[in-house]
Amino acid sequence: MINLFQFIPEIFILSLILITLCFGLFNKDRAISLNTLGFILLSILLLNYGKDFYSSTQISLNTINLFVLSKIILSIGSIVFILLLKRPLKNENLYRYEYVLFLLFAILGSFVLISSNNFLTAFIGLELQSLSLYLMAAFNTKNLSSNEAGIKYFSLGALSSGFLLFGISMIYYDTGSFNIQNLDNFTAISEIGLSLVLISLFFKVSAAPFHIWTPDVYEGSPTISTLFFATLPKFASLIFLFRVYQELNISDIKSLNYIFQMVCAISLLVGVYGAITQKVIKRLLAFSSINHIGFMLLGIMSYQFMSEGTLFFYLIIYLITTFGIFAVLLNLRTVDGEFTKISQLKGLRFTSNSKSISMLVFFFSLAGIPPFAGFFAKFFILSASINDGFILLSIIAVLSSVIAAFYYLTIIKNMFFNKSEIELLDDNNKTGKVIFISSGLIITLFFIYPDPLINLVDNLFK
Amino acid sequence: MSFPILSLLILTPIIGALTLSLSSSTQLKNKTIFLSGLWITTGEFLLSLLLPFFYDKSKNGYQFIEFHTWFDKFDINYYVGVDGVSIPLILLTTFLVPICLLCSINSIQNRAKEFVIYFLLLESFIIGVFVSIDIVIFYVFFEAVLIPMFLIIGIWGGENRLYATFKFFLYTLAGSVLMLLAIIYIISKVKSGNIELISDFTFDQQIELVLFLCFFASFAVKVPMFPFHTWLPDAHVQAPTSGSVILAGVLLKLGAYGFIRLSLPFFEYASLYFQPMIFALSCVAIVYTSIVALRQLDMKKMIAYSSVAHMGFVTIGIFTLTQDGINGAYFQMISHGIVSAALFLIVGVVYERHHTRMISDYSGVTNVMPKYSFFFMVFMLSSVGLPGTSGFVGEFLVIMSTISVSVYLTFFTAIGVILGASYMLLLYKNINFGDLKSDIKQLADLTNIEIFYFSCLAFLTMLLGIYPKLLFEMINKSISLSII
Repeated sequence: MINLFQFIPEIFILSLILITLCFGLFNKDRAISLNTLGFILLSILLLNYGKDFYSSTQISLNTINLFVLSKIILSIGSIVFILLLKRPLKNENLYRYEYVLFLLFAILGSFVLISSNNFLTAFIGLELQSLSLYLMAAFNTKNLSSNEAGIKYFSLGALSSGFLLFGISMIYYDTGSFNIQNLDNFTAISEIGLSLVLISLFFKVSAAPFHIWTPDVYEGSPTISTLFFATLPKFASLIFLFRVYQELNISDIKSLNYIFQMVCAISLLVGVYGAITQKVIKRLLAFSSINHIGFMLLGIMSYQFMSEGTLFFYLIIYLITTFGIFAVLLNLRTVDGEFTKISQLKGLRFTSNSKSISMLVFFFSLAGIPPFAGFFAKFFILSASINDGFILLSIIAVLSSVIAAFYYLTIIKNMFFNKSEIELLDDNNKTGKVIFISSGLIITLFFIYPDPLINLVDNLFK
Repeated sequence: MSFPILSLLILTPIIGALTLSLSSSTQLKNKTIFLSGLWITTGEFLLSLLLPFFYDKSKNGYQFIEFHTWFDKFDINYYVGVDGVSIPLILLTTFLVPICLLCSINSIQNRAKEFVIYFLLLESFIIGVFVSIDIVIFYVFFEAVLIPMFLIIGIWGGENRLYATFKFFLYTLAGSVLMLLAIIYIISKVKSGNIELISDFTFDQQIELVLFLCFFASFAVKVPMFPFHTWLPDAHVQAPTSGSVILAGVLLKLGAYGFIRLSLPFFEYASLYFQPMIFALSCVAIVYTSIVALRQLDMKKMIAYSSVAHMGFVTIGIFTLTQDGINGAYFQMISHGIVSAALFLIVGVVYERHHTRMISDYSGVTNVMPKYSFFFMVFMLSSVGLPGTSGFVGEFLVIMSTISVSVYLTFFTAIGVILGASYMLLLYKNINFGDLKSDIKQLADLTNIEIFYFSCLAFLTMLLGIYPKLLFEMINKSISLSII
């Protein structure tokens, strides 16, 4: 007998999808704002009753906390995202309610992915998520590069799904079970199968050397979709990767552990190496996200020391920063279209106070310079990894963040030191402004008053 | 004492900066902005004057302690306090920042509001470094100093400012991240970030050597010591006058302060082990950079190289690990903070009038600017180390303490003194004496504001030179604790 109680969040989203489908035919504005309300409701529901949903199951308390916290983060992220998407879509004549539907499907897929205990369910969740992402990448059908991004994403993504499925079938052949939790007695075949699964997940979170799609897709897609790729689905895939690592005790399997460490080191280095020469800001952010994935993988590997707290903290700070940066970028346009190049940021200091200062905060935070929250995120990850004995990886990580500081400084240089060459149009999007200012404040004020964020993460893992 | 004076010292400039940034910039004139900045920093200076009055010199350990839990889980706390080593440096900072603002009233025309805000933030971060006795909060402030400095050099610097400011930032950051790893390792061992607890902890000898090198990487870049000094001339030459003043006056001292406050008490064995290396590097710094300074055509660059040489004395003094040596090094730090700041101001005065820093463009300045030449001479002689000025005491003590370690060391440091005298006298001669160049004739002598701050600085140099006990009383006890 299946207990439907634990599926309440998923069922909630599913009903949101149906409502949006029906409602959107008549009034797209209202259908979209309805979703904001829906997600607010969902986050309140999860915040208050999240743990009760799973109380009848045999899942350990820690894992339940993991489910609840990541679902809360996903739904809050969705609220911010839905609030943000109206203006940018309108600017490109893409304002249709289907976009929100894809978003909902992707979130549903992420929810399923996060809480799946079974490789097949995970596959379904991942596919649901990915298929919506392909569509979001290609949503600007009249734009050639958007189409290209969608097709590139789809073909490479399909390949990686093939890897995933092949890996799962090898594991099934070996152990006769799809279950993630009770896998033991590995043989070589399972190890190969698991490494295929890992490769597919690395692809989804765009860890190097499986990152090739990232810069192109980031650049080609509409900026609002790029924001989505960079944040929520990646977050969900990373959580699932974390669960696979934890449940299967990958740290005990020598070969897989080796793969993990290599991918972590390569991501750290490829991210900074690729980003240095970039001139297009979305490509730069793509590479910088690869570098940050390296840090997150380091966090996954060293979970033994301070449990999930450090990883989650890093993820939250990273999400806030990314949302802030994109909220600024979405607010800017050049006279002849969307704003793309870093050099177009020149002189932003003179045109807009709030934008330039928020960007300063975000990029110094990404570079890990105190007193911004990004420093503490890196500090905790490094504390955990040094305590768990990953000294070499930690050294690579800090050195990579020095190189990373170079290109973040280049952006700040363009905004603060150079005179403007091109006139930047201000969209004057009020919601966007609220979002980037508040995320800037969170990043800055964390230093003075860290308790709320730390407690949020801490309490859920007690 | 329950009055939170240290937090107030950190917060006053930040609050001032916030108020300024919230005021609308279009209505305020540059002068009003600078004046309000001056009021804030002068208030801060007066506030910091309370510290030496209420500081109890007879007691050991830290005073004015404030403690708030910050990150419970890691036992990292907001834990601040001062002892004799930090108070003079705090005073130096609060003293120099108003002067920086004063000297830029005329030279900084565009984006004055931002300028004042960055300086206020810089001040509070620097004070944060000097008061923190938790290693993590020390690191946070130590790194945060980079941000306003990066912007000050980058926005108001000379023509090659981007190169200089990037070099400054990345050099310092690369040094600091290694220290970050060492700090994390130490916290994982000691389970606390408290400096006193870490001092009591003994590490494995091999590990201690590595940890020492990590800290050394950060502080040596900041001081700067010989192979890591190349960012300094660039940063100084490109920075605006006020930026150079604060850079030479206070930021370089952060490194030396780090050596005294962290490296010596944490790593006694490693400090002794690496003593020869540091002596060698410092001797090279003293002799080599002095010779380099002799050949400079740019005034600022010459003084920048002289800073490296003078800081060489400081590192030698610190690592003699004797009371006299560290006392002398500390005195040299304070003295260099005043004198080199004054010398950069001196360069700034003529640069503002004549818009060139080349030594060859000046000649016979004393004919048109007699007051200027007078002050220039005072600071020049102090930099050379004339008895009766503050420069003498520090250099003398350092040289004296080296005799107990090695005579060769004494020889090289003494050579440094002679070389220092030769380049400073050369600089003074070339600028002030000789034929009066025709395009110099219309240079105006010092204004009242300039006379005011130069006399303050000159008074301090003389005072410390004649009555050095003033400083030694303050630091003796704290330093004797840090070497045992």
